[in-house]
Amino acid sequence: MIARRVRYEIVSRAIGPTLMAMERWRRRGRGAGGAEAPFGPPLESTRKLKELTTLHYLAGRFADGAVPVAWVTSGFPVEMLRPLGFHTVYPENHGAICSVKRMVPELSEAVEREGYSRDLCGYARADLGSVATGKTPVGRLPRPDLLCCCTNICQTVLYWYRALAVHFRVPLVVIDTPFVYGEAQPHLLAYVAYQLRELTETAERVAGSKVDRDALGETMRLAREGTRLWAECLRAGCARPSPWTGFDSFFHLAPIVAMRGTRECNAYYRMLRDELNDRVARGVGGVADERVRLLWDNLPIWFNLRDLSTVLARNGFNIVCATYTNAWAEAGSMIDPADPEGSAARAYVHVLLNRDLPYKLSIMKRLCREYGATGAIFHSDRSCKPYSIGQIDLMGRLASEEGVKGLLLEADHADPRSWSEAQAYNRLHAFMEMFG
Amino acid sequence: MPEYTIMRDATISARKKLGHKTVVVLPVHYPRELFTAMDVHTVELWGPPGPPHGPDAGRIQAYTCAVVRNALAFLASGGADAADAVLFPHTCDSIQGLATLAPDFGGWGKPALRFLHPKGGDGPAARAFVRAELSLLADRLAELTGRPLALPRLAEAIGLHARIDRLRGDLLSRRALLGMGDRDLYRLLRRGEFLVPEDHLAELAVAARGLGEERVQRGVPLMVTGYVPEPMTLLDSLASSGAFVAADDYAAVGRRVPLSFPADGGDPLDTLAAKAFSMPPCPTRGGDQDVRMEHMETLYRRSGSAGLIVHVQKFCEPELFDVPAIRRRFARIGAPLLYLEGELEASLSGQVVTRLEAFVEMVDARRNAP
Repeated sequence: MIARRVRYEIVSRAIGPTLMAMERWRRRGRGAGGAEAPFGPPLESTRKLKELTTLHYLAGRFADGAVPVAWVTSGFPVEMLRPLGFHTVYPENHGAICSVKRMVPELSEAVEREGYSRDLCGYARADLGSVATGKTPVGRLPRPDLLCCCTNICQTVLYWYRALAVHFRVPLVVIDTPFVYGEAQPHLLAYVAYQLRELTETAERVAGSKVDRDALGETMRLAREGTRLWAECLRAGCARPSPWTGFDSFFHLAPIVAMRGTRECNAYYRMLRDELNDRVARGVGGVADERVRLLWDNLPIWFNLRDLSTVLARNGFNIVCATYTNAWAEAGSMIDPADPEGSAARAYVHVLLNRDLPYKLSIMKRLCREYGATGAIFHSDRSCKPYSIGQIDLMGRLASEEGVKGLLLEADHADPRSWSEAQAYNRLHAFMEMFG
Repeated sequence: MPEYTIMRDATISARKKLGHKTVVVLPVHYPRELFTAMDVHTVELWGPPGPPHGPDAGRIQAYTCAVVRNALAFLASGGADAADAVLFPHTCDSIQGLATLAPDFGGWGKPALRFLHPKGGDGPAARAFVRAELSLLADRLAELTGRPLALPRLAEAIGLHARIDRLRGDLLSRRALLGMGDRDLYRLLRRGEFLVPEDHLAELAVAARGLGEERVQRGVPLMVTGYVPEPMTLLDSLASSGAFVAADDYAAVGRRVPLSFPADGGDPLDTLAAKAFSMPPCPTRGGDQDVRMEHMETLYRRSGSAGLIVHVQKFCEPELFDVPAIRRRFARIGAPLLYLEGELEASLSGQVVTRLEAFVEMVDARRNAP
């Protein structure tokens, strides 16, 4: 245990950062590279993002047996685990990496042979496939000591983590956040807050230590600040031209999802915000010739981001806002360091995917107005039913009430087998023609 | 075949004439006792099966389950206009989505009720939450009926439904001793989806008199698990192949019969809340997957089943996620398994019928092998 801990600390505090420094040195003087048409110059911060992500997964390879390890869903109140020193793994984030690396079909087929249906969430299939085969693009994932699932993003995670619990034979904590129609009722908030207190007990037992309330308060403060910083990064997209593309923002979302409540996360977003604001001041756009501004709804199509963004950018279209990235800039503001459980209950219950369609519509309208989006692409995501149900009506209402033209683009956030490229681009081109 | 004289439309009309309200209920779990206590008639909506009633199914993507797509089409086409409200239990993401889509964006203009039940836990927080949800639902029903909940009436309703549940449990657990065919049994059981409880109880009691001491079902005993036994022609095909359903784990049927009955007395709302935690494992309510597998294996062994049919609705995530675990568990005990996936079709396709026949034949041969 001590030897493992020493190795983990050496890797995460010395070897990892040294490797990153060497990489920086190797690339010194090269800058982030010049503009590559049809895009503007790449963001300098992207390098730092890659370092953060690489370091996180590198440290993860040596985490099990050294520190407590928790696998958590993206909407889980991870702040509660940080003071106990958990190394956290986000299977959804890992699923996105698998998708970008085009590994999902192979991983998915491994579990389809066990009986998992191809109609299930692509992240879940990728993760379960990775667990079954040991294959991953990040080297190795540490074995969990605790599984933490919060139903505020979907019920799918509940079923998925039940299966993981059977596989790993470790405790599963479910934070059940009942769906909110209108405003959350007091008994609902009390129910979630109670579960958060139970979570602390279980996490303490697994970690073998007690939560330091001061440290928890500080983590909550950092999480709230991180949310605000992420919101400031997104707000830079209101400028014309937007200093980045929505596709950039999908990648830069990773720290607020996976490192929320840490100083590294906040330092990163300060850097990104400053760079974006600098680009705004200099009139540098994410797309070289931004002509039409769009909203994106639902998760990204991870395996096709580059191609899709290129087709849009070539025609002067830029995704300037997205309901998905915005979701991480909203509810975190409700966090109160003085009341960790109570405020976390409120914040984590009120996330976009846990709220009704009128709320979703109001967010879309606000985003379109604030960011000047005149069109919207609704990714109808076979892998994410809760996000996709209602999109057809939302698209109609956004058009009739705000004059925002819409496109329903059927795909999958992870699995390229559900992607019909010719059909999709045909529809995309027809959509772009509507803007003249 | 028993002749049932009371039908769905007649039931709704009769209740209307009495001045009682009718609530259409989406699947799966809900506190029916509360409705009975407040003289609210419930009619369940499992789709309905067959092609959607009208174009509104197209407002939900085709990769969503037919139960939800058909329900939206049915509601939007006026199929439930005779009802006064719809109840959306918190069953899955899709029904949860429908619960905002239809009332908020069109398809259902009358009151929409929701019943949120906890996912996974059965600790004090979950129990307190169910209790609070029951109180809230009682308040909403009071708004609908203009009458508050009377606790003595609730206690009576709990007793009435316990008698119904016991009879349903008897008919299912002692299936081999009942001379009735599957189609008739399921027709009887599923009439509980719309009958007034007293009428349903009377019909069940008549059927239960047919329970003997001797095994009368001589066909190949099979266990079935899944969401809802639709299309019902599945049961005809089983019968014509020489099999019968010896054990039922359908969400619509067997998983709604409690495993135990809370003691009488005390606060009826507490009793009703406790019932929610005495039901068989159901993936729509979360819970430990191992516990469910254990329950299913017990059901299988106790019923003397010789094979398992996993009959799920396409795109139904709660059911689909458990399929690999079911496969593993039943492979381990050497149970033959047939996997069927449907989309609430009006009848089984020829291919499925052939697969069913072949499965029954195989199970029978295996059973009779020396």
